[in-house]
Amino acid sequence: MFLNSVVLILQEILEAALLISILLVLSRQLQLSARWFATGMILGGIGAFILSFNLATISEWLDYAGQEILIATIMLAVLGLLTLIGLYSTLPPSSSRHALPYLMSICVALALSREGAEIVIYLGGILNHQASIQPTFTGAGIGAGIGLSAGVLLYFGLLSLPVSWIFCTCIVLLALIGGTMASQATLLLTQVDWITYSPVLWDSSIWLPEDSIPGHLLYALIGYEATPSLFQAIAYGLGFLLVSISATLGHLNHFRSRRTNTGDK
Amino acid sequence: MSRSVGRFVILLAFTLGIGSNTSFADTPIVELRIRNHLFFPDTLEVPAHTKIKLLVINEDPTPEEFESYELNREKVILGHRKTVIFIGPLPPGEYPFFGEFYPKTAQGKIVVTAQQPSE
Repeated sequence: MFLNSVVLILQEILEAALLISILLVLSRQLQLSARWFATGMILGGIGAFILSFNLATISEWLDYAGQEILIATIMLAVLGLLTLIGLYSTLPPSSSRHALPYLMSICVALALSREGAEIVIYLGGILNHQASIQPTFTGAGIGAGIGLSAGVLLYFGLLSLPVSWIFCTCIVLLALIGGTMASQATLLLTQVDWITYSPVLWDSSIWLPEDSIPGHLLYALIGYEATPSLFQAIAYGLGFLLVSISATLGHLNHFRSRRTNTGDK
Repeated sequence: MSRSVGRFVILLAFTLGIGSNTSFADTPIVELRIRNHLFFPDTLEVPAHTKIKLLVINEDPTPEEFESYELNREKVILGHRKTVIFIGPLPPGEYPFFGEFYPKTAQGKIVVTAQQPSE
């Protein structure tokens, strides 16, 4: 129970921790107050409990497709928010940058609700097994600790990059997470037959299995799949492009307005 | 209730000789139960290149998560609940699955076998 608990909690925490770290670095680069972080964490915690207590009922909606539809919707909402974050963080500071803290806290709240609900359900189930409670919760603590450490490591890793690289790296990482969201949502919709089957593009499970440590890490960071389907790959590409193009558009707009301002003087 | 309706529709489709491999009514339903953190049966045999509707029934009071890296499937099933997971169409081969919450005991596999040529 102990080791299983470490791995399970680590998986869930890692994804959220990496997203939060990137957003925190971005927020720091843009000199925003980090108050959105606390709001997002609190809302995410509440969301995780609400979702876990209602998941049994939700799962039975739409002929047992409710769970997938809801989670896919949350993932696509995160993709939408990442797109807006990409756009607003590259626009000139005066225009609409005040919206960023709200977008970031909703993004964190949604990601945490999704990941947190599974943790609550898992640990809640363990409460029925007296003998397993202690090893499971100890394992959960260690798993959470490792996940958070990875987040902290990414945070300081990003900040140690040359200053001119930090912003761009954050946007690329957010675009990769956006791609992951689109790809995972596609997978969930295929699981309930809302999206039709598409052939598997490649099988890299021999070289890099998904259940290996690098496999888990790459899954959390860039959404690695050993056997992705064609539609998943297309969705990934579209998600990545959506976030990166919106950031590029914002940047071009910023550049143009800066040039106009200099021209005026 | 809805399952019996579904079975009736399948029966009707077969009787009338309608539907193709991909139509909804033709999707075979395979039942999988979770009891004492074990899968029953632990080996499911399904035909190749056919979409399957997997009906997972959790008889335990505790939640379980059906997970398979090979099938790319992952779904939480709460205690005393059931759920549906679509898999395939798959090429012949073995596809292991496990219960992520109790992986030591909850192990199983789907064996996809080449379809008999229909007459």
